[in-house]
Amino acid sequence: MIPHNVTMGKNFILQAVFILFLLFPVSHTQAAGETDLSAGSEPVLSSGKADEGPNGAEDDAGQEEKWEDEWEEADALADPLEPFNRFFFHFNDKLYFWVLKPVARVYSGIFPEEVQIAVRNFFDNLEAPARAINSLLQGNVRGSASEVARFTLNSTVGIIGFGDFAGDVMGLRSSNEDFGQTLAHYGAGGGFYINWPFLGPSNLRDSLGMLGDGYVHPFILLDVDRDVTIGLRTIEVVNSTALTLGDYELFVGTALDPYAAVKDAYQQYRNGLIQK
Amino acid sequence: MEQLQKSVDELLRILQSQELKEPDKKSERKQLIDNATNEIFDFREMARSSLGQTWDTLTSEEQDQFVGLFTRLIEQRYKGKLDAYDNQKIIYKKELINGKKALINTAVIDKDLEILIDYRLKENQGKWLVYDLKIENVSLISNYRRDFDSIIRKEQFAGLVEKMSKQLEKSDTAN
Repeated sequence: MIPHNVTMGKNFILQAVFILFLLFPVSHTQAAGETDLSAGSEPVLSSGKADEGPNGAEDDAGQEEKWEDEWEEADALADPLEPFNRFFFHFNDKLYFWVLKPVARVYSGIFPEEVQIAVRNFFDNLEAPARAINSLLQGNVRGSASEVARFTLNSTVGIIGFGDFAGDVMGLRSSNEDFGQTLAHYGAGGGFYINWPFLGPSNLRDSLGMLGDGYVHPFILLDVDRDVTIGLRTIEVVNSTALTLGDYELFVGTALDPYAAVKDAYQQYRNGLIQK
Repeated sequence: MEQLQKSVDELLRILQSQELKEPDKKSERKQLIDNATNEIFDFREMARSSLGQTWDTLTSEEQDQFVGLFTRLIEQRYKGKLDAYDNQKIIYKKELINGKKALINTAVIDKDLEILIDYRLKENQGKWLVYDLKIENVSLISNYRRDFDSIIRKEQFAGLVEKMSKQLEKSDTAN
């Protein structure tokens, strides 16, 4: 949905994030505030409704209470960089329509959907090590073991990741964890919103997360040549754009302030992943 | 809930009907889809909650006008997806009911990927209607509330209506 592109070096991101850290010490207080909010919402949700309805098992009861009042939304993510963010949002938007989309259309005309799915699987498989580590860091041993098994099976029987043997045949699901979620697991709030050029929507915490995950990516571990990495990353982006052609257009085309809509969608999406 | 399931099945049937996809059936198809979606979604309630507190400050004419614009905007957002519907598998995962409120967790398998879609429903006079949905945890209503709020803060309700009308015109001519 959102154009991602990795044509900038990880070092640059590291420097940029570091500078942002120095510039905005305030982010710590905001992060704390946000954590308080999400932590505080649970007791509120579970109050009162405990003996209502024919709730069966304890687990079920907990869930039913939760969905009832889930309506309350989190406070908007702080956006001290809004002018810059809006500028880069506009930049990425143009990048999508002028460069990425035309390329992805040609690509999509050449390679059938099955191939695109296989390519997506290949790149997804490369993120399994990071997922395994992050599952473990969050205390999810089973999820971590499942990622290890997925990575092993899909890298071998699944033909270096192009097939999803582990998922299709063994029913092993991906955990979808990343370092940003691990940081959130230990209480880190989003900090503030960052709309990176090329990379798209993120926040302070998830930018650090991206950086952390980058270090255990096979491209880095295997010391793949920088130009090759950029080439492969470009294929990854073009491929995922080809698979979702039209989604971004529909979303921003039916939003009144697309920047605000994308920012909120990012926040909701990430919060959903963190709560899982 | 049974009535809702029927409406959903009916909508899927209309969407997949090859006969209705003929060019000369275009307006008939649109009409049928509109009727079917009205049996599933409570557009008025969706419009109300997406506007938040501003809703209460409006006259009933303004409210009606807004519901109309909002409904068309939602249609625009999902029309492409509806038209592209091609027998994707829908999995009903779980259904939670408490009094007059319900939550249904579903997943759609598209391009080998599981997309989570959660529906929130309310019962009104024996009829269950959807008043919000979450796609991959992003609530449609919350998202529009933030979006609308961003405009209202700067340009008030009048500015919002103007923007919506313009946006809809733009996409109408694009199609």
